[in-house]
Amino acid sequence: MKTTYILLLFSLFCFFTVQAQVDRTIMPTPGPAPEINLGEPETFNLNNGLKVLVVENHKLPRVSIQLSIDNPPILEGDKAGVASLTGSLLGKGSKNIAKDEFNEEIDFLGARLSFNSQGAYAQSLSKYFPRMMELMADAAIYPNFTQEEFDKEKDILLAGLKAEEKVVSAISGRVQRALAYGKNHPYGEFATEKTVNNVTLADVEEFYRDYFVPANAYLIVIGDVTLDEVKTLTDTFFTSWTKAVPPSFSYSEPKNVPNTQINLVDMPNAVQSEITVQNLVNLKMKDDDFIAALLANQILGGGSDSRLNLNLREDKGYTYGAYTSLGNDKYAPSRFTASAEVRNMVTDSSIVEILKELEHINTQPVTEKELKTTKALYAGSFIMALENPQTIARYALNVEKEDLPKDFYKSFLEKLENVSKADVELAAKKYFNVNNARVVVVGKGSEILSSLENIDFHGKKLPVLSYSKTADRIETPDYKASAPEGITVKTVIEKYIKSIGGKAKLEAAKSYAMTAAAEMQGMKLELEMKKTTNNQFMQDVKMMGNSMSKQVLNGDGGYMVAQGQRKDFSEEEVMKIKEESALFPELNYATLEGISLEGMEMVGDKNAYKLKVNDNKLAFYDIETGLKLQEVNTTEMQGQQMTSTSNFENYQEVDGILFPFKLIQTVGPQNFEFIVSEIKINDGVSDVDFE
Amino acid sequence: MRNKLILVAAILFNGILAFAQEVDFEEYDLNNGLHVILHQDNTAPIISISVLYHVGSKDEDPERTGFAHFFEHLLFEGTENIEKGEWDQIVSSNGGSGNATTDEDRTYYYEVFPSNNLQLGLWLESERMLHPVINQKGVDTQNEVVKEEKRLRVDNSPYGKFIENIKKNLFKNHPYKETVIGKMDHLDAATLEEFIAFQKKFYVPINAVLVVAGDFKKENARKLISDYFSTIPKGQKISRNFPKEQPILEQINAKAFDPNIQIPATMIAYRTPGLKNRDSQVLDMISTYLSDGPSSKLYKKIVDEQKQALQVGAFPATQEDYGMYIVFALPVGETSLEELNTEMEEEIEKLRVDLISENDYQKLQNKFENQFVNSNSSVEGIANSLAEYYMLYGDTSLINKEIEVYRSITREEIKEVAKKYLNPNQRLVLEYLPEQNTAN
Repeated sequence: MKTTYILLLFSLFCFFTVQAQVDRTIMPTPGPAPEINLGEPETFNLNNGLKVLVVENHKLPRVSIQLSIDNPPILEGDKAGVASLTGSLLGKGSKNIAKDEFNEEIDFLGARLSFNSQGAYAQSLSKYFPRMMELMADAAIYPNFTQEEFDKEKDILLAGLKAEEKVVSAISGRVQRALAYGKNHPYGEFATEKTVNNVTLADVEEFYRDYFVPANAYLIVIGDVTLDEVKTLTDTFFTSWTKAVPPSFSYSEPKNVPNTQINLVDMPNAVQSEITVQNLVNLKMKDDDFIAALLANQILGGGSDSRLNLNLREDKGYTYGAYTSLGNDKYAPSRFTASAEVRNMVTDSSIVEILKELEHINTQPVTEKELKTTKALYAGSFIMALENPQTIARYALNVEKEDLPKDFYKSFLEKLENVSKADVELAAKKYFNVNNARVVVVGKGSEILSSLENIDFHGKKLPVLSYSKTADRIETPDYKASAPEGITVKTVIEKYIKSIGGKAKLEAAKSYAMTAAAEMQGMKLELEMKKTTNNQFMQDVKMMGNSMSKQVLNGDGGYMVAQGQRKDFSEEEVMKIKEESALFPELNYATLEGISLEGMEMVGDKNAYKLKVNDNKLAFYDIETGLKLQEVNTTEMQGQQMTSTSNFENYQEVDGILFPFKLIQTVGPQNFEFIVSEIKINDGVSDVDFE
Repeated sequence: MRNKLILVAAILFNGILAFAQEVDFEEYDLNNGLHVILHQDNTAPIISISVLYHVGSKDEDPERTGFAHFFEHLLFEGTENIEKGEWDQIVSSNGGSGNATTDEDRTYYYEVFPSNNLQLGLWLESERMLHPVINQKGVDTQNEVVKEEKRLRVDNSPYGKFIENIKKNLFKNHPYKETVIGKMDHLDAATLEEFIAFQKKFYVPINAVLVVAGDFKKENARKLISDYFSTIPKGQKISRNFPKEQPILEQINAKAFDPNIQIPATMIAYRTPGLKNRDSQVLDMISTYLSDGPSSKLYKKIVDEQKQALQVGAFPATQEDYGMYIVFALPVGETSLEELNTEMEEEIEKLRVDLISENDYQKLQNKFENQFVNSNSSVEGIANSLAEYYMLYGDTSLINKEIEVYRSITREEIKEVAKKYLNPNQRLVLEYLPEQNTAN
């Protein structure tokens, strides 16, 4: 009896200790999904139509003010760029406060204020909130558009467009949209040098008057404020904003293509192909399957653990990353895209794998595990984004703009949890359209075209249609052209030498001096170059009068100075520079071994013979005129291949010899356009220049 | 005229501000000495679970540098209940993220989760404190990883060796003379027993603070914290007695070479007091005055107007025992490092001789106010600050009061502190030069 008692006590004791202690061998499971304590916005309207949302949050003594004008898409037409220019010109002071004074005051307050064509954003301590409201309203309602600022901003925009021309991702982005929507749709049009040059200051003023209006405008104030304070301040500062409704447009409904096809844009400078498989979707946030569609996208390609990336990156090693995105829009169709930047060589294989994954998610269901972990990941990032007041603003605004149920975000996690496998499968079928997709490929046509033409999809070849960088349909160029019979390295070189003046003239030139200049982000870059036939070479690049880099070769020795540091050339470097320093390197090509004719290729819109001078250098000569059009140099720096391309344009005569007066040098995304101001032959060079 | 009105408004509002910004927290000790800080904020369903260990590179055996940082890696290798390689997966598949940081004085480990994972976070951190698995395999793996990290961040990185060179010259006795990443041959030579002993000494409740911040119920949190942490053995109290430095009375000149740079740099550094000293905060203000923003003194003069430098900066490195105050510049074109030193000293001299203007003083106050407000904007940021204020400053409530310290700093004090620490005879002048490859 006694023993049983003890045993009983003992087991009771055990029971209690187990109760008090947690079993740390078991990983805790998450509790129920938290409800989100989203601030409930207070709203009121001004008579001019401005809707004001106030989210009081007194945790920190700071305030953010966001002005967002929810206009329907705006067609800019032959003045594309006017919206962007209007955005850049807003916020540069006002009719009442000069620009410098305006900026200085914001700085002094430790605050921020920025504008775009359809809104503005300000952030400050709450004690400066009244003043920031005043400054924002002042700049928004009484903008000071001046010709001087207009010209400055236009130059910046044009320079940006020009820089984009060599950027594969930028070209890809605009061609994708132009092809999906058509160039006459607000989502398909884009600014070009021509359309920007059509824009005047008066157009900006008109754009501002038409579209920067309160009819569809929201003012969202978040932070340490009271509703009454915001009411008083908006009444005081925003009432004078004149009531107006923006003009509306009609445009045709864009459509998906009847059959999956490849749309190729050739960019000869591309070292990677940018592939985007896209189709139009009709998806709005208020649709019942919106969250299921988000999950389907996440599983397919939303993150680094999703199917597409696991296949293309982790398994095949084709790319650094492959992702999908699924848009939504209440005004027009949006796009689903699956994209990756891949090595030229695997462009075709990557397309095949992307299409396979699209089919796979259409035909084979997602697994329970995929659904579960994707929900957890999505829920986590959704929840953690909530901490940022900008997120809360966006959500409050979405509820208004997208006509969502008031509890859309509060119950978001619950809705997420309720999404079933069947829901995700249905959404995948509906939105990932493998049979009506455009496969937009921007890359080096000469290296990828033939493999693209041989992609087998459902037992058929995919049609390959070529487009220009401005999304116009063009004939597919014949990249494989080999040089015609009778053309050799020798004939190309001879034609070149003859075209620029002839051997006798060239050999009579003993020295050469050139000055040129380029603009870089508003700063002037000067280039001075001198050469003689005695292995003397000097090149000096100056920025705003200061020497940035200087190279000097004098016979068998030389040095370079970069950023004030001098370094002598090694023997190897001397050899290299000797080759470069020849007045006309082609005069020596006849005697050099190893130069080969590689066929014909397009350089811009000109057909050219391609010579491989050595492993690191290609040269292109116009088949019509014989002139040298381009050189491509490859160097290795810290294990990375760097390619620099020089284009030669605007040949002009100096002492009977033709020289290019425009040199365009491209290294990576950098692009320098040197305009030659002077070239001297047998004049202006002395030994002193090479000391 | 407008500006004046704002100044008045700013002064009027100051009184209210301190009240508006209160970061609410409570703190207590478990029986084993683990200090716990709870900061409840239910505005977003996020929770941060973090542990700060009072161990940094200064606590290392001078023959075994790099240990504290090495543990930042080792302690992700798994525990008795968490398999090797599972840690990160557990965190991300539960919607969370996490990381760790190490410096001279402390190591900080944290996870951020949706708030329904409080228990998971506490389990993870308690596992790490109670019984991390430290074995030869983990040591070997992480040894390689740390070497890659050093290659990336120090050896291969432009200007990556500047802090090492400043420390080496400003400190002769105190362990601050060593770097956080440490010497690789020390790590190679270290035995498994030494790693285990280091863990037993420093990674214990009595030397740590646990912060739980965000959306939770206090009672539930207190219970779970007790469940997971109270049985962890207390550990021995750690006493620290580091060698002291002699004052610097004569300018120190030094050179360093870096193969990863083309543009040299000049760096002027001063040894300053530890972070508990009020002067340390005054020096913060001086840095902002000199180089924060396009209208700051050094930037406006040397970069913007005179175009002598590509970049100029001033920053205080605040540390527990001594600080460092560093001013640097990168020359443009033919400007010599000496010219830059002269220009920089000219501005510092003005601080020693004249009072800064009223307008600049007010701008400084505004900037610090803004900084202070924004530093408390994320739950994770608050948790980190709470842990450091408790462990390094010895006063958790500084999270709310530090701004009062800045507000109380006067223009006269700024001048006094500049006079006390920023004299030419107290400084190190480091020429940081491109390394020439002589073999070439």
